[in-house]
Amino acid sequence: MFSGFSHSVRGASHDRTGLVCQDSSAFKAADHYAVAVVADGHGSKKHFRSHLGSKFAVEATIEAIATYFEDYDNFVANFPKNHKMIIKNIQKQAIFNWNEKVNAHLSENPVTDEEKSKFTEEEFEEIQPESYYGTTLIAGVAAEDFTFGLQIGDGSLVAIFDDGEAIMPMEYNEAAPANVTASMCNSNAAGYFSGFYVENKKLIAMYASTDGLYTSFGSEYDFLDYHTIITSQLSNIENFKNVIINNLTKRSHFGTEDDISLSCVYSTDMIDNHMDIILNKVAENKKRAADRKAALLTKKIDNFE
Amino acid sequence: MSNENITEPVVNDNLSADALDGFEPAATPDTAAASALDFDDDPLSATGVSRKSLVIFFLIDTSGSMKGKKMGELNTVMEELIPEIRRVGEADTEVKVAVLTFSTEVRWMYSTPIAIEDFEWARLRASGVTSMGAAFKELSARMSRNSYLNSPSLSFAPVIFLMTDGYPSDDYREGLKELQSNSWYKFGLKAALGIGEEANDDVLAEFTGSKDTVVHAYSGSQLAQMIKIIAVTSAQIGSKSMTLSDDTGHEIGEEDVFSAKQKLLGQQIQELVSNQVEDTDVPFDTGW
Repeated sequence: MFSGFSHSVRGASHDRTGLVCQDSSAFKAADHYAVAVVADGHGSKKHFRSHLGSKFAVEATIEAIATYFEDYDNFVANFPKNHKMIIKNIQKQAIFNWNEKVNAHLSENPVTDEEKSKFTEEEFEEIQPESYYGTTLIAGVAAEDFTFGLQIGDGSLVAIFDDGEAIMPMEYNEAAPANVTASMCNSNAAGYFSGFYVENKKLIAMYASTDGLYTSFGSEYDFLDYHTIITSQLSNIENFKNVIINNLTKRSHFGTEDDISLSCVYSTDMIDNHMDIILNKVAENKKRAADRKAALLTKKIDNFE
Repeated sequence: MSNENITEPVVNDNLSADALDGFEPAATPDTAAASALDFDDDPLSATGVSRKSLVIFFLIDTSGSMKGKKMGELNTVMEELIPEIRRVGEADTEVKVAVLTFSTEVRWMYSTPIAIEDFEWARLRASGVTSMGAAFKELSARMSRNSYLNSPSLSFAPVIFLMTDGYPSDDYREGLKELQSNSWYKFGLKAALGIGEEANDDVLAEFTGSKDTVVHAYSGSQLAQMIKIIAVTSAQIGSKSMTLSDDTGHEIGEEDVFSAKQKLLGQQIQELVSNQVEDTDVPFDTGW
């Protein structure tokens, strides 16, 4: 059986400026599959409705994935053979759904004079309507025999399979360095999506997060260890939720000041059966962190002259 | 059974003030690692919090011609500069520094970018030839998520500051070509300082992509002024949040955003340089 949780916290910098939280997050735990999804609205001038764009993105994605799982037997029979093509199609369906939601919202809520007042007429004319709602999107899908994910723009997916190791299955795109992100509102959004597919490995838990979480860490090791620690508490999640919310809030305050979202899905059976592996991993990671600290000190001593 | 949950964002205001009590202040990676030894109260505090970070790369010519006053002055000014850059990052950005020296060989001062708070300048010595092309290649290899730019908290494209007093002795164009294909270089802020008469501003402008971000120092006092102007200004501009969306509403590409930063750097450097008091110091090349 699958279960999950998701949280979005407003960034410390948005608290100061009064900007609403631009992130959205959701999870769906169905009988045979589960989805963890987060989206990060761009939140600046021309993306003046991106808090809605991110909400539409998480809804659009859950709906797109649900459509594919409707005919479960047929889907799981075909997916392993054609996963590349099907993931591409799910991405396209998510974009289509998102555009539908954006267009429906826009026709019911035309741009107001107040929204327009921040632009000259010429500037406003140049903005594509989809851009008002610009957002990233990242989703992880857990099924009984396979795991996959899709992503446009920045954000992270972390998966923990039955060996207890936390990994990031989506490759970082070196062609898009810091502060540059692709968006659902790009005219060729489908071309900017990336994805992954894993089979023959049993998933314990998977997490999707917006980049505010990743960038609040000094090292990738810490980022991955963080997810292992959360996984070690999933059997007690109701009590642990507040710890997570407080920690995300702290990360926003003292880290990048950005909105932070974290969504998680996990297999309750796998958690029950693999807790000893996870707890060992937490202890192992703690020791490795201490070793890295010692190595860093050595590096400083061994300097240039 | 299906459990679908769209989460309403939690606004920080809704949390009690007490929720933040006991939170540690922003931790550097060092303290982050240290906290790994103490997570009995909050299991998640094992992994510390980092501020947004920016890496400044200094590429420094340590060839034989830099010997004497040039290298002495450079060592002194770099030692003085560290506290000034530290102030740039005090607000909300952690500045990290990486120093690559090039003469006959290329060498990094430290084997990883070092947080400015922990950075100690190791005095450089000059000897050998000017392998600038090799330095460009080495920089390109390290400017990667898999190498020097692997910190998640890295939020800004890097600043790259080249200082040299002579014409490259190797095929610098081949190295530059490799560097130019690196996205971090493409989106980074580039500035260069020519030291003395022999430094070739055209070569430096090829590196930075614009003459506006190339300045020249002919004396020790100018060298000190120019290094400070370039390093501090580029660190300030480099750590400014400027995303694709922070524009005036025009649909612009990511390259435009970074070229806007580069242009701003050129303007500010030229403005600051033109405001410098007249130089009365003895030129480097007098009697050389």
